[in-house]
Amino acid sequence: MSDHGDDAVTRTREKAQQQAAARGRAQGLEVGWTVFSYLLAGMAAYGGIGWLIGRAVHVPLLFPLGMLVGLGISIGYIIHRFGRQQAVERAPGPRKEITGDR
Amino acid sequence: MTGDVGVLASNGCHIFNGCGFPAPGLQNFEWKPIFSIGSFHFTKPMLLAILAALVVIVFFWAAFRKPQLVPRGVQNLGELAILAVRDQILRPSLGRRGDSYLPFLVSLFFFIYVMNVFELIPILQFPVPSRIGFVWPLVFIVYFLYLYLGFKNQGIWGYFKSMIPPGVPAPIYVILVPVELLRFFVFQPFTLGVRLFGNMFAGHLLLTIFTVATWYLLSLSVGLLYAAGSFALAIFVFLLETLVTLLQAFIFTTLTATYIASSVEPVH
Repeated sequence: MSDHGDDAVTRTREKAQQQAAARGRAQGLEVGWTVFSYLLAGMAAYGGIGWLIGRAVHVPLLFPLGMLVGLGISIGYIIHRFGRQQAVERAPGPRKEITGDR
Repeated sequence: MTGDVGVLASNGCHIFNGCGFPAPGLQNFEWKPIFSIGSFHFTKPMLLAILAALVVIVFFWAAFRKPQLVPRGVQNLGELAILAVRDQILRPSLGRRGDSYLPFLVSLFFFIYVMNVFELIPILQFPVPSRIGFVWPLVFIVYFLYLYLGFKNQGIWGYFKSMIPPGVPAPIYVILVPVELLRFFVFQPFTLGVRLFGNMFAGHLLLTIFTVATWYLLSLSVGLLYAAGSFALAIFVFLLETLVTLLQAFIFTTLTATYIASSVEPVH
């Protein structure tokens, strides 16, 4: 292959690597901030539900308890959703197209 | 604005002068109106936001008013800027099908970047997004855009259904609904806005603290040593902020692109 051909192959390979790196950055950002949003949302959602029930039955402890339950649900879901995604990405054999999560 | 370097300089407030450290704080983010019309007060951040918009408009207008097949001068820079956003932000999330969103993402990225970078330019020296009121409109534009695109492309029910990926057992589904709804409708836009605001707010505060401290500690005593340390930190924070201003514009735009991507096409 001529030098010109080698250059073209190298350029194409570099461009593909850059594109893969950019995709990885975008996915990483998305997953990172999604995880953070889940942690907040879990605490807020079940903290809110706990607060409402606690207000109705006059048990204020249900508010922090709800927050903890929400945090637990969020962490469990994060592990289920993103842990599985990483496991699929690392699995041997033909790679599946992983488009990441929301 | 009170408590700034100018006020310090005029007061000659230094360490060992019997003058306490005039710590910068929220007062550094409040501005006296440049002019007022009734109850509307036009302040410096508003002026800077308009200036940022003008910088972006004029730059791209100058670059592409007479586009040449072989780019020269400003057109070179303009193409470089657009290609950077396309290849580093748009294509990784949306692929080629998302090229129609390029003008929106380019405008968003450069508008935010120019507003951020005003923090580092003497005289201007204020990052507009450190006032959260300037961030929410941008967040709402993005929020309503991806909601609209989601409902349009996937239908109302389909869009709601796509929030929880398939494969989740039915009882877990019920448990996740409040978390997902709150995350999607409240915390996703909230974190998008607060991250930009928080970073620019903290950066400006740090820069102000070390600059004011350098002036305050400056005296013909051991204070000179402290002042040198504070000055070095001010330079360090300045360099860090050159990165943060770019990074925050990049993160905001990249997340916008990923939100649009998930609205245009359901994720499995």
